[in-house]
Amino acid sequence: MKVFFTSKSLDDTKKLALVIAKNLTRGMVISLDGDLGAGKTTFTKSLSLGLDIKEEVSSPTFNILKCYFSGKLPLYHIDAYRLEDQINMDIGLEEVIEGDGVCVIEWGRFIEELIFEPLNIKISIINASERIFEISSDFSKYDLIINKIKEELNV
Amino acid sequence: MYSLLLDSSNTNLSVGICKNNQIIYQNSFSCWQRQSELMIPEIEKGLKEVSLSLLDFEEIVCAKGPGSYTGVRIALTIAKIISQMSGAKLILVSSLMAMGNANKKYIALMNARSARSYIGIYDQGKVILEDTIKTNEEVKELIKEYSSFEVVGEGSYLGIETTLPNEVEGLLSWKELINPEEDVLKVKPVYLKDNYGI
Repeated sequence: MKVFFTSKSLDDTKKLALVIAKNLTRGMVISLDGDLGAGKTTFTKSLSLGLDIKEEVSSPTFNILKCYFSGKLPLYHIDAYRLEDQINMDIGLEEVIEGDGVCVIEWGRFIEELIFEPLNIKISIINASERIFEISSDFSKYDLIINKIKEELNV
Repeated sequence: MYSLLLDSSNTNLSVGICKNNQIIYQNSFSCWQRQSELMIPEIEKGLKEVSLSLLDFEEIVCAKGPGSYTGVRIALTIAKIISQMSGAKLILVSSLMAMGNANKKYIALMNARSARSYIGIYDQGKVILEDTIKTNEEVKELIKEYSSFEVVGEGSYLGIETTLPNEVEGLLSWKELINPEEDVLKVKPVYLKDNYGI
């Protein structure tokens, strides 16, 4: 299934993230792709609000993995950008990807072989404030999320 | 003689203290992905409870893997440091072995992800199947083949009924059957996944 959502502001992005967050369950994986500055971390921050996470979510580019345990579900936030060379990728990431919470992966395409049944979100930059989100998955466990986006955001 | 028993290789964090092979303190709880934060405070808590210091231990018994990539290294690193510092003997037990009691017949299982499991099979202190990684289909076959053996672990990912592990008791039951490490500095965790280069 697939759906497109046009965000004209940070507020729109937040609305989308909240609909997704509300319907996430244990073991779900979101693979985020988009150019630098597309808003992958911003989207994840909004998602964390929807999961009632109290800490501020910041970019895991340096750390590769950050974990948040204060919400409804544990959130594991991975930035695979520095794993592009495929040399240092065997660091046990599969345990949080196929884990007990929700895993959000930025630059997922660099660690494709580690990603287990993802919901793919591709963010395209239209201009300074406008973004197109392409949300798709081959796995039926995400049908509900995609249907809710269609329903609640009228797309 | 006091022994300190440690395991953080799977979802649990386990700390045990024995006096002459009798458990005088044990605490084991699920704290997946948080063992690095909690292992040292938990050891301190145990020491305080039985009024001991780290230098009182003659041996440290620790699980060495397989298991969680990070988890395996937490207890093992701490065990190595204590052993280096105090001169206590270091005894390493397979994390799968440590899930059950050496006097029993059991199959130990852990989720290795990607539809695979870590598995070891033991019969009253003898190793029937050396710790290895197998597909979940193969694991189900082995469980059928060894149907008189207890299955220990968290089996929900396979949809099977299992007994939950008691790592402190497990470590204690195996330690007499295993020689202490000769060169503590050379000790390395056991991962079993071929792609985990060390």
